[in-house]
Amino acid sequence: MAIIGEWIRRLGYLLRRGAREDDLRQEMEAHRAEMGEPPAFGNTLRLREEARDAWGWRWLDDLVQDTRFAWRTLLHSPGFALTAIVTLALGIGVNIGMFSLINGLLLRPLYAGADAVVEVDSDSTTPFGGGRDFSYPNYRDLQEGTTDIFESMAAYSTGFVGLDAGDRPRRALASAATANYFEVFGAPPAHGRPFTMEEERPGAAIRVVIISYPLWEQLGAGPDTLGRLVRINGEQFAVVGVARQGFAGTSIPGPEVWLPLGAYETFTMKSGAGRALGAREAHELDVVGRLRPGISDETAEVALATIGRRLEQAFPAVNAGYSLDMSRPSMRLMFMPGAGRGSFAGLAVLLMLMPVIVLLVACLNLANLLLARGHVRRQELAVRSSLGGGRSRLIRQLLTEGLLLALAGGAVGLLLSTWAARTLLASLRPLLPVAVSLPDVSLDWRVLLGMMAFSLIATLVFSAGPALALTGRVAATDLKRDFSSGGDDGRRRGGLRIGNVLVIGQIALSLLLLASGGLFMMSAIKATMADPGFRLDGGLIVEVDPALAGYDEARGRQAHLALVDRLPTVPGVEAVTIGSGFPFTGFEDSREVARAGAADAQSTSVDAVFTVIGRDYARVLGLPMVGGRDFSAAELTPGAGARVAIIDDVLAEKLWPGEDPLGRLIQFLDAEGPEARQPILVIGVMPAVNHSLGNPRPYPHVYVPLGHHYESAMTLQLRVAGHVDEGPMLGTIARVVRDVDGRLPVLGVATWRGHLDAGLNLLIYRAGASVFSAFGGIALLLAVLGVYGVKSYVVSRRTREFGIRIAIGAHPRALLWQVLREGGRITAIGIAIGLVLALGAGQVLQGILYGVSSIEPVVLAAAPLILLAASLLASYIPALRATRVDPTVALRAN
Amino acid sequence: MPRDTGLPPGTLMMLVLRVLKTQPLHGYAIAQRIHLLSGEELRVEEGSLYPALQKLLIKGWVKAAWRASESGRQVREYRITPGGRRQLDAEVAEYRRMASAIDVLLDEA
Repeated sequence: MAIIGEWIRRLGYLLRRGAREDDLRQEMEAHRAEMGEPPAFGNTLRLREEARDAWGWRWLDDLVQDTRFAWRTLLHSPGFALTAIVTLALGIGVNIGMFSLINGLLLRPLYAGADAVVEVDSDSTTPFGGGRDFSYPNYRDLQEGTTDIFESMAAYSTGFVGLDAGDRPRRALASAATANYFEVFGAPPAHGRPFTMEEERPGAAIRVVIISYPLWEQLGAGPDTLGRLVRINGEQFAVVGVARQGFAGTSIPGPEVWLPLGAYETFTMKSGAGRALGAREAHELDVVGRLRPGISDETAEVALATIGRRLEQAFPAVNAGYSLDMSRPSMRLMFMPGAGRGSFAGLAVLLMLMPVIVLLVACLNLANLLLARGHVRRQELAVRSSLGGGRSRLIRQLLTEGLLLALAGGAVGLLLSTWAARTLLASLRPLLPVAVSLPDVSLDWRVLLGMMAFSLIATLVFSAGPALALTGRVAATDLKRDFSSGGDDGRRRGGLRIGNVLVIGQIALSLLLLASGGLFMMSAIKATMADPGFRLDGGLIVEVDPALAGYDEARGRQAHLALVDRLPTVPGVEAVTIGSGFPFTGFEDSREVARAGAADAQSTSVDAVFTVIGRDYARVLGLPMVGGRDFSAAELTPGAGARVAIIDDVLAEKLWPGEDPLGRLIQFLDAEGPEARQPILVIGVMPAVNHSLGNPRPYPHVYVPLGHHYESAMTLQLRVAGHVDEGPMLGTIARVVRDVDGRLPVLGVATWRGHLDAGLNLLIYRAGASVFSAFGGIALLLAVLGVYGVKSYVVSRRTREFGIRIAIGAHPRALLWQVLREGGRITAIGIAIGLVLALGAGQVLQGILYGVSSIEPVVLAAAPLILLAASLLASYIPALRATRVDPTVALRAN
Repeated sequence: MPRDTGLPPGTLMMLVLRVLKTQPLHGYAIAQRIHLLSGEELRVEEGSLYPALQKLLIKGWVKAAWRASESGRQVREYRITPGGRRQLDAEVAEYRRMASAIDVLLDEA
């Protein structure tokens, strides 16, 4: 307690220190007056300071004083300050930029009180399914049976719908959710109301919708948005609510619209057909719950296991093997299947490593600058030391100066990074296949804290070393030495050697980043030129999805066929086909294919890309059939032909190695509905196509005719005549498609090459190449500045030596070569170390990159050459200055 | 740097508390009183007195207030607090114990 009283008094002193210091001064004056003998009292100022120090605020005074002094010092050398701040802004800026992206994606909680929200999972009983979902009746029983464990529990299902919010139908992510969905996440709608129980009831089909905050803003953010109608899968829905800003459910990107569970039929487009939502066996829903306060995970898991067993006993037919468990909702990044929050953390560390290396280069650079500057400031330091400035005090002063620079650099870097992160995200947006609300990368306390941390770490890295080095050897003799020009002494040489080491480090690290960037770039180029297995030139692609306009299967098929009939009549178009997928698009359906009737069907089945195609698919893609025939007209018509399929030779080789697959039977092990387990006759064999860059080896493919399977989202493939340039035809094709059916949602018209270039498959290589190259470029710039700084410093130090040598007849070219040779030697050592680092990085990147070996000769040759050239250029300017030293001026200077 | 008073460390604070125990005094008077009461044996340097007074203020063992002296001059008078009295008693007891122990040792040896 005494300690607390003491601190209160100390704080009180700090708050009224002006008055308290006046007290001290006056009472000492009074003391002196009574003594009547001034000299005995000594230095009153010093005595007063000593008395004041008892209060323990000296460090604060020192800090204020150091900051003021540092501020003045920096104002006196604006060139140095500016260089340092820009260097730090680059170094810290790239770190904050990357950090704010990671923060937006991974660190920010998705919703308030996220710890209490859990996902309820059930184990799978089928060999190919993931976790089994919940049917609505199972969900209701679960909810009613666990009210003592869960405060609230909600069910939802997420998928794509066609959304027409006034412009034209497009694909959008949507969730159908129960009434208390928003309550579970602790995120009631920002405007309007949540769904009602009446709207939740299966089959209710009350068409109301809650829209996401970004969509609300897109619609004008007005009060009249509530009650407005938007079209979802062709039906009119009334907006009754707006979700809270930043709320994205359990995924990034989050849904754009939420429908009540009662409108599930519109949501899934499975009107009438299949299983109704109210059926106990329709396992379609995900379940989340908010735990009651104080309920431990163990208690909840026991309760879930109990109710799971009860559900299994009550409905053994549909709930066989029902075992319930729970987990924290992982933030699932859409479009990166299987990439949960956890597995993404490793990537985050890797991503964070690059900017940290850039910051390291920036710090080495600054350390060098400070060291060079310190030699100039040596006299100042010697004076201060001789006037009683202790070493620790001098070090503190130098560190304060560094911190001031780092914070200034950090602040500028913060501005740079916010802009950079926004630009990066904005550039990603058009590449994504659907319009989504992307994570918020704006400033928050985490980013600010990150900036502070980066600045502090940077300060320690770049200014601690020089501060120790400079204050360690301050000697009285330094007072007498004239540091303003020339003079050679061993100590300074030592400092320079440190400088050289720092430059070597910078060059090595820059080479590491440059070579990594080069590898990414090589891989992006190779990926662009990757051979998909067919000729890319002369092809066009049209993506349509009739379901987005509410077309059912019959009307959808009509729309598809109308286009297949009309498009070949466009002048220049040679052939047209239709298919449910296209290589390199990133989305693909697949089936588990086995030999029909084989005893070992389960163990020998092959996962194959599943594509629904029309006639002439092989011909349009320029893939000559290896054997067999194309689909017949009957097979393309629903319900008409026999069940047939075309497989590619990769699949054929896996199922019947070395044998003729024609006339054999296959079956799909994981198919549902009428497709399930029926034998399918193989009537043709196509050559392999590469479906994805991630798999350098061709993946097995199976093709079925239009008649056997309906897929709403289809692509039309057009082959243009040999002499026609396909690019200019895009406009014509788009117009023709509109003429055929004005309501048909057209998701894209592109050349094959353009389509692949914009695909997700390339995105990651492109992004990697540009990010690594940008980091490499910044590091290169910093390293070159470092070389230039050191060389300039050396030359200015040796002005006198050069002057003498010129005076006694040295050839300027000899001096030029000497300076260049010294610069070259440092660079060569740096490059040698950097090459070793780059080889190591190559080993790591090899696993990620497409078609690039870790010892990529081009990259390993180009990166050192770029560095060498830049570094020689950086030494050339100071070297030239050395040759222009005027001997008379140089000699007179001392 | 505290001046060398010739006193064992910490003793000065005890002496100040002791002279303040009888009556409130200002800085110069404290130094005078210690000088006189010690038979002019101890001289308190001003450079030691004021830091010591600041420490006593921090500890809350004395309070200070401005007052007009008999001569009409404004003086800052220090007054011992109840906490200060307890501290003084404790320190005096401790000092006596130490001193007698040292005495015994010196006599025996």
